[in-house]
Amino acid sequence: MVGAFDYAPAIVLLPFLSFLVALAGGKYLPKGGAFGGIAATAGSLLLSVWVFLTVSGGETHNDTLYTWVAGVSEETVSLELGLLLDPLSAMMLIIVSLVALLVHVFSLGYMNDEGETGLPRYYAGLGLFTASMLGFVVADNLLMAFMFFELVGLCSYLLIGFWFRQEGPPSAAKKAFLVTRFGDYFFLVGVVAVFATFGTAAFAGPDSFPHIAELAMPGGESPDGAVNTFGFDPRTWFTIVGLLVLGGVVGKSAQFPLHTWLPDAMEGPTPVSALIHAATMVAAGVYLVARMYGFYALSPTALAIIAFIGGFTALFAATMGVVKREIKQVLAYSTISQYGYMMLGLGAGGYVAATFHLMTHAFFKALLFLGAGSVIIAMHHNENMWDMGGLKEKMPVTYYTFLSGSLALAGIVPFAGFWSKDEVLYEALVHGLGGSTLLLGAYAMGLVAVFFTGFYTFRMVFLTFHGEPRTETARDPHGVRWNVKGPLVVLGVLAATAGLVNMTPVAEMLGMPGIELLHKWLAHGGIEMTTSEHYVTLLEEQADYHATHLSPLVPGLVSLGLALAGAGLAHVLYNVPSPERHTDKLGAIKTLWYNNYYQDELQVWLADGVVRPLARAADKFDQGVVDGVVDGVSSVSLFAGGRVRRIQTGIVSNYAALLTLGLTALVLVFGIMGGWFV
Amino acid sequence: MNQWIAIGMLGVVGVALPIGMMVASALIRPRVPEQGKTATYESGEVPTGTARIQFNIQYYMVALLFLVFDIETVLIFPWTVIYRSALAEGVSLSKALVPMLVFIGVLVVGLVWAWRNGAVSWVTSPRALRRKTERQQ
Amino acid sequence: MQLPSWAALGPALVLALTALVLLGLDSIDPDSTHSSALAGISALGALSALGLAGWYLLAGTGQASTGGPILLYGDALVVDGMSLFFSVIFASVAAMVIVASYDYLKGRTYQAEFYSLVMLAATGMTLMASSNSLASVFVSLELASLPSYALVAFLKRNEGSVEAGLKYFLIGAVSSAVFAFGISLVYAVTGSLLLSDVASGLVDAGDFVGVAGVGVLLIAGGFAFKTASVPFHFWAPEAYEGAPAPISAFLSSASKAAGFAVAFRVFVEAFPIASVVPMGIDWPLLFAVLAVVTMTLGNFAAATQENVKRMLAYSSIGHAGYALIGLAALSQGGPNGQVMGASMAHLLVYGFMNTGAFLFIALVEHWEVGRTFEDYNGLATKAPVACTAMTVFMFSLAGLPPFGGFLSKYALFYSAVQGGFWWLAAVGAINSALSLFYYSRVVKAMWIEEPSTPFELESKPVGLYVAVMFAAVGTLLLLPGFGPVVETAQTAATALFA
Repeated sequence: MVGAFDYAPAIVLLPFLSFLVALAGGKYLPKGGAFGGIAATAGSLLLSVWVFLTVSGGETHNDTLYTWVAGVSEETVSLELGLLLDPLSAMMLIIVSLVALLVHVFSLGYMNDEGETGLPRYYAGLGLFTASMLGFVVADNLLMAFMFFELVGLCSYLLIGFWFRQEGPPSAAKKAFLVTRFGDYFFLVGVVAVFATFGTAAFAGPDSFPHIAELAMPGGESPDGAVNTFGFDPRTWFTIVGLLVLGGVVGKSAQFPLHTWLPDAMEGPTPVSALIHAATMVAAGVYLVARMYGFYALSPTALAIIAFIGGFTALFAATMGVVKREIKQVLAYSTISQYGYMMLGLGAGGYVAATFHLMTHAFFKALLFLGAGSVIIAMHHNENMWDMGGLKEKMPVTYYTFLSGSLALAGIVPFAGFWSKDEVLYEALVHGLGGSTLLLGAYAMGLVAVFFTGFYTFRMVFLTFHGEPRTETARDPHGVRWNVKGPLVVLGVLAATAGLVNMTPVAEMLGMPGIELLHKWLAHGGIEMTTSEHYVTLLEEQADYHATHLSPLVPGLVSLGLALAGAGLAHVLYNVPSPERHTDKLGAIKTLWYNNYYQDELQVWLADGVVRPLARAADKFDQGVVDGVVDGVSSVSLFAGGRVRRIQTGIVSNYAALLTLGLTALVLVFGIMGGWFV
Repeated sequence: MNQWIAIGMLGVVGVALPIGMMVASALIRPRVPEQGKTATYESGEVPTGTARIQFNIQYYMVALLFLVFDIETVLIFPWTVIYRSALAEGVSLSKALVPMLVFIGVLVVGLVWAWRNGAVSWVTSPRALRRKTERQQ
Repeated sequence: MQLPSWAALGPALVLALTALVLLGLDSIDPDSTHSSALAGISALGALSALGLAGWYLLAGTGQASTGGPILLYGDALVVDGMSLFFSVIFASVAAMVIVASYDYLKGRTYQAEFYSLVMLAATGMTLMASSNSLASVFVSLELASLPSYALVAFLKRNEGSVEAGLKYFLIGAVSSAVFAFGISLVYAVTGSLLLSDVASGLVDAGDFVGVAGVGVLLIAGGFAFKTASVPFHFWAPEAYEGAPAPISAFLSSASKAAGFAVAFRVFVEAFPIASVVPMGIDWPLLFAVLAVVTMTLGNFAAATQENVKRMLAYSSIGHAGYALIGLAALSQGGPNGQVMGASMAHLLVYGFMNTGAFLFIALVEHWEVGRTFEDYNGLATKAPVACTAMTVFMFSLAGLPPFGGFLSKYALFYSAVQGGFWWLAAVGAINSALSLFYYSRVVKAMWIEEPSTPFELESKPVGLYVAVMFAAVGTLLLLPGFGPVVETAQTAATALFA
């Protein structure tokens, strides 16, 4: 019988087809090829749902489709393309195809109705992006994942730089490309290291690399030296490999210190920001960690680093979001911050929690971006929040859906973000108290970030929608059509309700573990090695992570209280007819935050006046050492080349002399070495 | 002791001997600087023209052609010596005669080519002729 | 039907016969030139030689499948897989050069001599690949060299050409002297000139190891001259630059390959590693040193050239360094057949891409565009097809995928690593990376730069175009076809070590 899994490749191929169609014939199609993209993503969504249903029936799929480099013997590796469909990827498939579909529809309103040109290029980019992201999700091995990871990066470059005639987008595109590429170098080295160590890069199954690694650990079933760990202790070596792969994750998921590209990427069209820089592409990094969680679970060091990067990024980005003027900038920093939570969750052993947050965040952040897009349409492409105000009356659909997303983002009960963020923090806390005290630091940072999140979210809401209109445009906004409102409503409902699938505190309170649907979803599955149950065992055995038993109620209330406090402060300060720029009172701190801790230029760390010498030192390092090495290499070779030219005098007797001398030198050296003259 | 020492000694002696003789004669001989000694011919003959005379290229061509025949002879000679006895030993004609015919045939092709391209016709160089008449005037 | 055993030398005989026919034709009517007839006959000769060699190679003549190497003329010559493989290289390069010369020689005198010299040189190279005795090695090497000297100086009215010819001849004379001296020393120790007898004679060299060592080293010097390896490379830049471009192509591809062919056979057969290296005559190390110095020097010098032809000349020296890995990465019990076979395959690919590059130079010289990189600016706007071919050659020479040069270099370095000579492969890889700099300069000039002065190309010479295209297609086809090529080469090389 032909089942869902036989059609699974079509999930990836349909958007790719729409890419080809838009590329080849977009000019001749109505709406620049939009309908092709909508149809393709809708098809992908339907197939994804089918796959989801099949997977929920207990079936999984892990198969090689195509071997493009066949290893000839036992020792050589085969490079393959394949599908891995398990609960995690089935869930992710639905998220990606759903958001992609909604973004395609929204683009009708944002791009077509606004009379943009170059639409075939736009829809081709969206199609290729969707295809690559879906391909990444279903990848059954690390190399295939890497290839699609890179394709995703390429698409993001193309789409951020969509308005390539302006000044900002092309340079933002370049920055995004280069910064993520920097991380991907480590990833690539990591892929090679995985191949060199395990001879395979499969994610799941008995021959998968996480499983081989598990068996190779001290006390594992494999004998010592079963895998080549290059002279390191297995755990050390696996930590190194894991951290190399993590380089790509940090770049793609915009974690500190490679987060700087994401705010700039807001130069792209807003639907692109929604699709790529909020809901899916950025998720690729976190998804990758979740995908090979069995590998990371072997290394407490790697987990601690992940947790710390996550917690720090969450707090760090949240503070910067507090002072931004542009609506999309606030959302950009909140995205970085939220992905920080996911990393914190993964690092803290909360595999389910992080996956949960990944899902809810995809919905509410796509919603917020699309809502912001709607506001931007209304404001005639002015993004400054200080020029808005009072939009609540003029665009009620946008307002209420945006509010739903904001409540979710801020983590207010019962919206989606509350449940997931709370669970992330809870996992960090219980594992921290359970012996891994380091996690408590990461937990503290995450907790403080909750307050900031609540504050900037509602600052944004109040500035945009409440109060008196502060400009002419805000008084008479441009209307939006169904194709904008539709996606907003769908996502608004999801943002409000998606959290209900996993209400851990409620389950605890009512004593009804049955309502933790996501836990059950990820815990079951035909592939034993990739279930959350297995991961928990691994964490306990290998990483020494133990959860203390603690009621989720108190931590939940604490974080809810902090979120409410943040929101309340925003309410007091900004929910007035004509709000003042209260953040100016922060003085130097505001300048610091507004300028993103001066993180944009990696060399310039803190403030312009304070650390200029440091910047100059960095510059000098760049000019003197980095450039110097590069220039030096080329000038040495040119100089040496010039020397060689000088030997070639053009006088034939010199040649004969040099020839004889050279020969004599060879005779002498080899004669003495070989003992010919004895 | 090894045999390379002898070779080294030979080298040393080979260089030292002429230098020693030159030094010795320079020390012993009387010095009588006189202008006549610097003349090319001490007999008193006054040289004319320069020492760089250009020979006619034709001499060179003849020398090259001669070389061809020379080498031919070198190869034919031992062949003639053993030819008869080889035949008597029962070597077939195709093994004894044909290779030499091929060899000579190749040379003949070359010779004919050289002949046809004027290697043996005495060419006159217009430039040399002009120079000669200039000198006579 | 069984062909007589002398027919195994068919390729060489066909080439020699063609040369004689050309001379004969010219004797009949020395005063007029029938360029088409002359070029046609030579091309026919070269192609029949190519066909014969290819047929023999495929039919397994002289290979293990049909009873092993065919020894001829008192073992002075041998026909086996390796000699046939190299005959294929020589004949195809000669064919390309001849077709290209048809246009290049238009309006010049002494065309018959030109073609017959090319054929004679090709004969010499084919014999070099078949030589099984030091005497025939020397004679065939001279047979290949002497016509080359004359060909380099072919442009009689061009000072550069004559000067290059003279320099080539003088350095060649010195090298021949060195080579002959080396042969005499080896003969003195072993009492034989036959390679196999030399090998057995060396075993009892006893006290004369030193003499034998010097002899081996001097013989290596003779080959270094032919392959343009340091320190015998001095003639190469001048000769390649001064010579007519098709001859540069011929010398830098075929003549170099011939040097390697004979070096491979002599060193493997006469000086087997197993017996010679323990005696203190470590010739693989010698070639390793030469390889590193040659590739580094060639690439560094090429990087600073302004003249494209001279740049190619140095790059050709660099490639000699890569091919030397085939002699350097050998060790007792190592994968020697793989290494040497990879080097042979690289020489075949190199034969196509380098010949093509020099023939493109011939095309540019034909247009009288100029010689420096600047003169090439904007050439692609006028001659896109030829420039595409040149781009293929450049990238292939640099070893970029997806061109033939990528796989051959890869196979070469890979086999070197397999043999444990990873550092040689590393030096080679670094040099390849460096070489990309100057190869891409040509491409950049042709495609990206604007011409400083507008120019027109008056004609599209058919013969040159055909030759360049043939080389380009060969370079591209050697990517998918590289598998069988390298297999053949490695089988032939392994047979040599057996």
